[in-house]
Amino acid sequence: MSEHFVERARFMCSLGGAVGTVTALPGAIPILHSASGCAGNFAWTQNGGSGLQVGGYCGSLTVPSSNMQENEVVFGGEERLREQIASTLKVMDGELYVVLTGCVPEMIGDDIFAVVNEFRDEGAPIIGAITGGFRGNSYWGYDLVLQALVKDFLERGLPKVKGKVNLWGIVPYMDPFWRGNLEGIRRLLELLGLEVNSFFTADDSLEAIRRAGEAELNIVVSDIYGQEAARQFQERHGTPYLTLPLPVGPSASEEFLRLVAAKLALDESMVQGVIDREKSRYYKILEPLTDCYNDIDLQRYAVVVGDGNYAVALSRFLADDLGWLPELTVCTDQVKEEEKVALAGRVEKLASGYKTKLVFETDASEVLGHLNRHWPRSRGEKFYNAFSPAFVVGSSLERELALQLGAPHLSVSFPVANRAVLDRGYTGFSGGLRLAEDLFSAVVANR
Amino acid sequence: MTYFDNKVPPKREDRLKAVIAHNDTICGLAGKAKGKSCLIDDGDRGFTQGSICLLLPALAMLNTLPDNVVLLHSALGCGSCTHSQNANVRVGSNVRQGKTKDGIWLSTALDETDVISGGEPKLEKAIIEVDRRYRPATIAIVAGCVPGIIGDDIDGVAQKLQPQVNARLLPVHCEGFKTKIWATAYDAVYHTIGRNLLEERGISNPAPEDELAVFLEQQRLAKTVNLMNVSSMGRVDEQELERLLNSLGLEVNVFPVFAHPDSFVKATRAALSISTCPTHDDYFLGYLQERFNVPSIIRHMPIGIENTSLWLRDVAAALGLEGQVEPLIAAEEAELKEALKEFRPLFEGKRVFVSAGEFRALATSRLLQEIGLEVVGIRSFHHDDFANVEYEKLAGEAKSDYVVDIANVQPFEEANLLKRLKPDLFLGHANGNMTAAKLGIPTHVIYNTGLSYIGYRGVYEVARRLHRQLKNPVYNRNLGENIRLPYTENWYRAEPFSYLNTRGRSVNE
Repeated sequence: MSEHFVERARFMCSLGGAVGTVTALPGAIPILHSASGCAGNFAWTQNGGSGLQVGGYCGSLTVPSSNMQENEVVFGGEERLREQIASTLKVMDGELYVVLTGCVPEMIGDDIFAVVNEFRDEGAPIIGAITGGFRGNSYWGYDLVLQALVKDFLERGLPKVKGKVNLWGIVPYMDPFWRGNLEGIRRLLELLGLEVNSFFTADDSLEAIRRAGEAELNIVVSDIYGQEAARQFQERHGTPYLTLPLPVGPSASEEFLRLVAAKLALDESMVQGVIDREKSRYYKILEPLTDCYNDIDLQRYAVVVGDGNYAVALSRFLADDLGWLPELTVCTDQVKEEEKVALAGRVEKLASGYKTKLVFETDASEVLGHLNRHWPRSRGEKFYNAFSPAFVVGSSLERELALQLGAPHLSVSFPVANRAVLDRGYTGFSGGLRLAEDLFSAVVANR
Repeated sequence: MTYFDNKVPPKREDRLKAVIAHNDTICGLAGKAKGKSCLIDDGDRGFTQGSICLLLPALAMLNTLPDNVVLLHSALGCGSCTHSQNANVRVGSNVRQGKTKDGIWLSTALDETDVISGGEPKLEKAIIEVDRRYRPATIAIVAGCVPGIIGDDIDGVAQKLQPQVNARLLPVHCEGFKTKIWATAYDAVYHTIGRNLLEERGISNPAPEDELAVFLEQQRLAKTVNLMNVSSMGRVDEQELERLLNSLGLEVNVFPVFAHPDSFVKATRAALSISTCPTHDDYFLGYLQERFNVPSIIRHMPIGIENTSLWLRDVAAALGLEGQVEPLIAAEEAELKEALKEFRPLFEGKRVFVSAGEFRALATSRLLQEIGLEVVGIRSFHHDDFANVEYEKLAGEAKSDYVVDIANVQPFEEANLLKRLKPDLFLGHANGNMTAAKLGIPTHVIYNTGLSYIGYRGVYEVARRLHRQLKNPVYNRNLGENIRLPYTENWYRAEPFSYLNTRGRSVNE
């Protein structure tokens, strides 16, 4: 990893993540206070990275944007923003409007909240968030939008309702499988009899989001994304939060159910019943694969490359559920030291006892180097224990690595340029089956 | 003193008086074009939607260059658009060089500290490391908005570091807030090419004593033409134009996309430069003429039958090939018109709305008229005087006058117009078809580097694809019946240009 640049960053800036997040909220309309090209840049990025999903109700080039020019840079952009908000409220049909800033207004010192509050005072459903691109990446942009909702949109002082939980940690569009993954976890939690507010699925509503403060627990399925917002939620609304890894497949889902149940003091025998039922179902479905799994010899070494959620979750699924050998796990996020520790903890003691080498590397062209250092290449020995048969699970940027290794490949983590994703998801027990299908299908594609 | 002596190229609103906010009609614009005063003052909008900036098309060009690495000097997000452009780089390098290759793009990812203390030290270290890690032929150092505001001098940094690195350093100015005309992108890239890549590098001349070799080379160059492509043509379109130019005995040097930076000097030796679109190349062709004495042709986009033939005639006239071009045109047109007959019945009487960059929109509209469709509306992303002749061509063939919306996308105006016009078909640019599609109108993409649009082949292929779309338009119809656009009912009732020229005024109460 370089200290001076990022290669082919697998994320946008915080504004990009914020726009994607707002467009995924039911009935919400972002208002960009930024240069004109930001919206198009995000649309093209989603086009190339989010499994062919661009926009939504009001995304892509439909998003209102103040399109700041030199004039605003010289004289300030607040007047232009005021005009843009007023006209947006007339032209665009939204239930919630969220003003999001790009680099330019922040560098020139525009005070967006002064403007936003004028409209709030008149009763417009509008909030704002400071999301300038130099503040961080798109995962942080997601966090910033949640923080803004927590601060300015959620009703305060609501009594807690037993059995209500909020679900965070999956970033719309940055996780191309966001809908399916949210729905998969939602289903898991519903098995425990909980009522789940997942904010971004087709079953969510702004009204329910407004009442999110009623939840007795926030569940954040990420060691990074949504963490700060969850902390602020606890501070403002008194709801504690539980951080868990993304539950992909039966082992992680079982642990997920147990930890949530323990936190909410749910009946243990009920929880055990749910787990028994789901596991039995999973293995009944897996059962007919047994012949071919063995006959074709479907066990693989693997290199796993993914973001802060996927890297460790996928390696765990491969090692603990599929019996594969994920030798190298590459996390491509820019992470803080404490986040590194948390992520390392996720793969330190896998149930299978399998040890994966975890590295932090943003740059696709450097992954092969990490593998070569971990698994020395052949020096022409007669007998050589090769890294083969191998598989690469990563993003579409790992296609080159897969070619170099002569291995099949599956794009899961952003960017996913070569798959169409609608509501497929890899979370929960069923998600494990989906992932197994996709992995094995890639292995036998030429059969 | 030329523009190229300056570090930064001029923006098109200054150089060409290009405009992005104007409401007119086809006859209105054609009339203005005929009149003495054809300049239109640019307007503004009190409500705007996001679009792109010059950085995006600039990257679309730079990412195609073999052995080039793009180093963005900006905040982290600028350039993430390359994730989609990379598909073009992969396919394009495969069909041209026989190998699928990903582009390499990097970002200095300026953060809050850099914004306060300046990004130049980080850029310097990045350039050194990039040169060593990737060993590229060129490093395009592309500035976004942030350095434009904090005052980083990318040209100064490039000049300072050039002696320390192997790669040729190419500063490119793409500060998005500085121009509203994103076609300035082409000037920005050509500017750095003109300033940095047109000198001799690795091209060997025949020894002067070998007179025959010198003569043969002169013969070859006299028949070599530059075919300018800034990424608006895929390989299939290049091949169509190469086929036609080869038929006239010409050798074609496609420039600059997918050409190796070390080979750029070839462009200075050609007998003629041929543009396919005045929106793209005028800045650079003027420079090639002035500095290297390479003449050029820049009018008519070879989209549509008439336009392709006009384009070919211009080339032939410039090189004294008139005698050869007429039989070629006659044969091509006859064959094509015969082949198009199959599709005409389905097109007859169908009304179409067209949206794209100005020249593309106008030339494609002409094509659509030629295959039997009626154009009922055009949205051009900008307007400058190069297009006047195109408005005249279209007005001459129009059954009745129709709207021309000059807008840097702005789909809210389009949604309103489409609800009124109810066309049978819509052609729009990338990210430009969703409004019509969600209204249930059959749509087709007007630009995609994998598809054929250009030349006689392009006419047939466009017709064939539109025929396919119209044979079963149910995908969009289903969308239209089940999805709504994010506009208020009040907006559909308002006049479509209610927000034009309303800046600073409270309107539409």
